[in-house]
Amino acid sequence: MLTSTLSIALMYFLVANPIGNSPTILSLVKDFDFDQQKKIIFREAMISLLIALFFQFFGELFLGILQVNDFALTLTGGIVLFLLALQMIFQKPENGEGPQAKREPFIVPIATPLISGPGLMTMIMITSKAEANDFKTTLAILVAWIGVTLVLIGAPYLQKIIGKRGMAALEKVMGMILGLISMEMIVKGTALFIKTLS
Amino acid sequence: MTLPTLAIMLFLIMDPLGNISSFQHLLRDIPPKKRRKIIIREMLIALAIMIVFNFLGEFIFNVLHISETTLKLTAGVILFLVAIKILFPSIDSFRANLPSGEPFVTPLAVPLIAGPALLATIMLFAHLESSQPIMLTAILLAWFFAVIILLGGARLQRILGPNGLMACERLMGMVLILLSIQRFLEGIQHFVKTCP
Repeated sequence: MLTSTLSIALMYFLVANPIGNSPTILSLVKDFDFDQQKKIIFREAMISLLIALFFQFFGELFLGILQVNDFALTLTGGIVLFLLALQMIFQKPENGEGPQAKREPFIVPIATPLISGPGLMTMIMITSKAEANDFKTTLAILVAWIGVTLVLIGAPYLQKIIGKRGMAALEKVMGMILGLISMEMIVKGTALFIKTLS
Repeated sequence: MTLPTLAIMLFLIMDPLGNISSFQHLLRDIPPKKRRKIIIREMLIALAIMIVFNFLGEFIFNVLHISETTLKLTAGVILFLVAIKILFPSIDSFRANLPSGEPFVTPLAVPLIAGPALLATIMLFAHLESSQPIMLTAILLAWFFAVIILLGGARLQRILGPNGLMACERLMGMVLILLSIQRFLEGIQHFVKTCP
């Protein structure tokens, strides 16, 4: 029981992809000071846990009521992330203090769809359907979440190493990579969709 | 489409949570007792407009002979644009610079509640949904919950705080974008099926 819980947890951890996501998240919160960054990241991780748990218990009901298929879920994640990637790559040069200059990222995009993305949501729904023991899935989510949060909280330290200029460069690169990730989701969603057509 | 799906979709487009702050801002000079009255009056006006457009939609699309595929694709696109506005708010939306003074019909009833997007969506779905009672019930349900949220706006703002309110709005935006893409894909499915 323990090993299977751990293996599910590991799967969740890999799908949430904290290591790959942390540079992206870091460039989203780069305008805040160190303590604030940690606070924001912890809060977003907390929200993503709530979203994951919500999908474990009510995911199918929720998608059923809205009449949403899994391909739409995947495509949505891809499109939202793609828009975000465009924003990161083609950022307007900042002139002066706009009223939104220091807008805190909130729920979208960090908590969802970056951490608790469509991949994680569908995976949680599939495993909780296969696993009769609800407690086991919840435990796996919690274990994975602890791992994810630890990695993400470590991200602000990275900024100390590479400095402000490095961050600006990193943001563009991460925009490109995020574009790739989002395209991958779009491709997956489209593939699922095409299967339903025939 | 089923009743809950329709009602949730209309409710999300009305965006009552996002409108709380604009309502509070516009009604700040008016004594609380009168505020209630104004909110209810504006919402009733909005409801009347929605119902008019509901019947108008059915009529117009019948005259124009617009296919189901077109309607579904259009609904998807409109919902998507509304959701983008909720998810990536910009300063130059029409919420930012509104006239002052006691509001009557504009800007509370139209366009904040019954905006162009909501009316267009109602028209589209009025035509898609073959049974009128379901459509009307969905409008009433969505409207009813929007009224409750707007009447309790000040209290909600206090309990959730500006961040909590924004969180709810963001989540609603996410759901709306999910729905928009689902509708769009259904449009494509329908297109492929009816393609000779």
